[in-house]
Amino acid sequence: MGACIVATYVQAQSRYITSRGEISFTSEAPLEVIKAQSKELRGAIDADKKTFAFTVPVKSFEGFNSPLQREHFNENYMESTQYDKATFNGKIIEQIDFTKDGEYEVRAKGKLNVHGIEQERIIKATISAKGGKLTVRSSFAVLLEEHGIAIPKIVYQKIADEIQLKVEAVFTMQGR
Amino acid sequence: MALHAQTPRFNHHPMGGEWEDTRVKKVYQAESGLLWFGADRGLFQYDGRNFTFRPSGDSVQRAATAIYEDRQGTLWVGYEDGAVFTKSQSGKFALWAPQEGLPKVAITGILEDGNGVLWLSTYGEGLYYFQHNRLYSFNTDDGLLGNDIYAFVKDVNGRLWAATDGGISICALRAGKKSVYNLTRAQGLPDDIVRAILPDEKGNCWIGTYDKGFCYFNTKTWKFEYPYTEWTFGVINSFELFEGRELWIGADGQGLFRFDLLTKKLQRLACSDKSLASKVFDLHKDVEGNIWVLNNIDGICSANRPFEFIPGRLDNIQAVLADSRNRLWVGTQDGLYRYEPEGNGAYVPQLAHLTLNVLSLYEDNFQNLWIGTFGGGVYCYQPANGRLRHFTEQDGLTNGSILSIDGHNERLWMATLGGVTEYTLQADPLLSTAGPAHRNFNQENGLGTNFIYKVFVDSKGRTWFGADGRGISVLENGRITNFSQAGDVPLSAVYAITEDQRGHIWFSTAKQGIFEFDGKHFYQLTVKEGIREQAITSLATDKKGNILVVHQSGIDLLDPLSRHLIYFDDEVGIHNIDPNLNALATDNNGNVWIGAQNQVLRYTTLKEELSIHPRTLLYNVSVFLEPVNILLQNEFAYNQNNFIFEFVGLWYTDPKTVKYRYKLEGFNPDWIISGDPRATYSNLPPGQYTFTVSATENEAFDQEPAVSYSFRVKTPMWRRPWFLISTVLLVGGVLYWLMKQREYRVQREAILNKEKIESQYEALKSQINPHFLFNSFNTLITIIDEDPKLAVAYVEQLSDFYRSILQYREKEVIPLKEEITLVKTYAFLLNTRYGDNFRLNVSVNGETAYVAPLTLQILVENAVKHNIISKTKPLNVDIVLEENAYLSVSNNLQPKLTPERSTGFGLQSIKARYALLVDKPVKVEEDGFVFKVSIPIIKNDQA
Repeated sequence: MGACIVATYVQAQSRYITSRGEISFTSEAPLEVIKAQSKELRGAIDADKKTFAFTVPVKSFEGFNSPLQREHFNENYMESTQYDKATFNGKIIEQIDFTKDGEYEVRAKGKLNVHGIEQERIIKATISAKGGKLTVRSSFAVLLEEHGIAIPKIVYQKIADEIQLKVEAVFTMQGR
Repeated sequence: MALHAQTPRFNHHPMGGEWEDTRVKKVYQAESGLLWFGADRGLFQYDGRNFTFRPSGDSVQRAATAIYEDRQGTLWVGYEDGAVFTKSQSGKFALWAPQEGLPKVAITGILEDGNGVLWLSTYGEGLYYFQHNRLYSFNTDDGLLGNDIYAFVKDVNGRLWAATDGGISICALRAGKKSVYNLTRAQGLPDDIVRAILPDEKGNCWIGTYDKGFCYFNTKTWKFEYPYTEWTFGVINSFELFEGRELWIGADGQGLFRFDLLTKKLQRLACSDKSLASKVFDLHKDVEGNIWVLNNIDGICSANRPFEFIPGRLDNIQAVLADSRNRLWVGTQDGLYRYEPEGNGAYVPQLAHLTLNVLSLYEDNFQNLWIGTFGGGVYCYQPANGRLRHFTEQDGLTNGSILSIDGHNERLWMATLGGVTEYTLQADPLLSTAGPAHRNFNQENGLGTNFIYKVFVDSKGRTWFGADGRGISVLENGRITNFSQAGDVPLSAVYAITEDQRGHIWFSTAKQGIFEFDGKHFYQLTVKEGIREQAITSLATDKKGNILVVHQSGIDLLDPLSRHLIYFDDEVGIHNIDPNLNALATDNNGNVWIGAQNQVLRYTTLKEELSIHPRTLLYNVSVFLEPVNILLQNEFAYNQNNFIFEFVGLWYTDPKTVKYRYKLEGFNPDWIISGDPRATYSNLPPGQYTFTVSATENEAFDQEPAVSYSFRVKTPMWRRPWFLISTVLLVGGVLYWLMKQREYRVQREAILNKEKIESQYEALKSQINPHFLFNSFNTLITIIDEDPKLAVAYVEQLSDFYRSILQYREKEVIPLKEEITLVKTYAFLLNTRYGDNFRLNVSVNGETAYVAPLTLQILVENAVKHNIISKTKPLNVDIVLEENAYLSVSNNLQPKLTPERSTGFGLQSIKARYALLVDKPVKVEEDGFVFKVSIPIIKNDQA
């Protein structure tokens, strides 16, 4: 889905695509803090239509406290073989002229698809525009329950039911 | 900063049973007053007692997301999957199926514009409108700011407001063309995402946003106004407005708020201890003045808006006062307190250095507070600067216990246990040292008694005193008049006094209920008239002129004109309030503050036109358990006569008090009073009926609106007059005919029998006729020697003949053949006597023909009897079967010269018998030469 939108946006005039995209998550459970990150976040923004699309392969997350934990993450919780991507795409609420340099607070309203389950979300982000480059920063929470990710009770103490995500991506205007 | 001010008491409305976990997000009140709820499991209706699930026609379970009743009374229900169902007044749900198809996304709103065009708002596909039987879309392609519509409302001017992610789109159809006017950040909207819109009575709108709180759009100036900019409670989901000045706000995750537009103060409320940070989905103000709150913690809650409680408790409250700056003062046995709504909300002790047992409070023209105490005189206090002055008996007070204070202009009166003291305050008493001019009234100079409970100054400047044991007194133009009798009723203690809008004085007593005094007459209201107790502790008149009657059991709200009462107790949180005498005050806004044992409640007179009667709905009539559409059907067959009427009195303020009164005119003319919301009538006889029901919340039915249903149980066909008459006629006719038939048959039989007997007799007589026998024996003698063989044959034939006669005489008819045989036997006898002079010629082959027995024999005998038989004049008798089904017996006519005496019976008898047997007559012809008798042949089947 995300990739498809990326492909479509390549045709657009004022499209920005990621030159670098990082996403990290933190699970702060009483007994354990888990952190992982991926550098394979890819996205596109159409400044005219105010639409955007992000996608990240679930398997690309690295970090964790042990290789076994990573395996658990992929196999037991995210079922990443079946649901290989997490995506977020939709529209930017605010009317912003990205050609003007500056820092903008925006809200992105769209469908967040994690673990194959879609939830409508409004996610706040900061976009700094500078010289045709956009840097997007955002942090938000994902409720595991909302995405049908079941955690066995005994593991509750090790995995938080709410995962904090942090995104930083740099976009450049396509074709320049 | 949110206030901790008074809050109404919320009641929970659990859905119960299998619906317990249903999340309810929409509430809608129909014209009938019935509340509809949209839940994630479908649509429900609620009558205050029971939730009823109303499945959509196709029984798919899905969230009901929009509810609307159009002008025709059709209920429209939109669902999360885009389906729209309509419920006509007959109660049936049907899928709405415009030919263009339905939206594929959730319906978020349904409404009808000023021209009766139906509109839908959706979450994802913008708007739709239905015009000339076509569904048209109206979305971002037409200029709408977004296709996700959060709220869609119509204002009083008919404008349609859609809340989107990009701002507000005001939509209309102008000359059939889509028109849209957008309000965005550029126009001053504080946030792009608009979640809630509430139009007020002026056509201006309250706007709730995602991040930036709420604002107001003024359609006169076409500008946004920002009455409150400090909002930090997140997404706003819903609004409701009371009195045009109190905005209720439901926030998504931060609970419930209300904002006072005059004081600009925001108050945070909660329906329960747990729901301070609830997600409020929807708010609704009902027609009785209740506020309904739908949230994720409590489900459905409601509160009676007029009654509110000050948080915090104080023991033994004896006096309350809301001063001109809207501050609440409370006097108790232990001192004086002021309520501070800021911060956590608390009663703060005042003048704590004094030991005060406060009995009464009053604010004078100088905004000084007068504090009447028990035994300690009165204090005059200015809270602004702390100035305080104490007045006792030394300053002219008639007694140190001041139970009540009231005033008018510069005068104030204090009711004490020693009479009344009147102070005249020419100047602020706190700024001078001189004692105020005073005047005392007591038993000595005109008052009925010295124990005065209440002083009340009416609108005409008269001062009324309620006394212990001696009734009520009035001071007018310096003169006191005492009323110790109200008409015939001797008055005991008068506790409370108020005045209605017509200037009539109302006062309450210790035991006798309340009295109205119009200046000439007293009118008593007791438990019989509907007030719940005889002992009334306080009275107050509200802004609309209704009188609050405060007593142990709660509060009765009395309309002084119609005498209609509304009871308030449990449901509004005021059961067994145990109020102290006259611990009540009316503030500048007309609100009434009431001190009840250990808390203070406030009664607000809502500006809104409120429903004061339960709305009665006759929602189901069933016949043999089958629902009937009462709009369409009012006639029933005679056997459709088991009726169940189901009704409900909608009184959400206090559903459990609802009682019903019903009757079925035509069956039982008496009212039946019951708490049961159904009436059953079995086996109604045919007739015209009218079922009438009304509901009451106060046990008085006289003023309650009633609903009726008239119907007819038809008389069964066999009991209708035309049927009865024709049946009687028919049965009578048939009976008559049968009787006639029987009579005829009996008669005929009798005649036949008689004829038969007579003919038998005749035949026998003729046969045993001595003459015949003599002739026969002569013949026998003649031949016995000549021809003994013939003689034997003759005797044989003779005996055969007699046997045949005996054999046939009982029968009605016999085969022609047998009769012919008989006649031939007879002819043999005659031939033996007359030889060839008698000739019988029989030419008959009628195989199936019948004749009456002995007919031919008698005719032949007649011929022999009446004619000459000789050698020269032989007698020829011919029996011929004629063509026309007649059998003729004819002979050549040669009558005897001396005719044998004849009875003429033979022929008569034949004629009579044949008349009974066949239709055709027996014909007798005589032409001078031939005598001929023709008898009709009887066919076998006629026999």
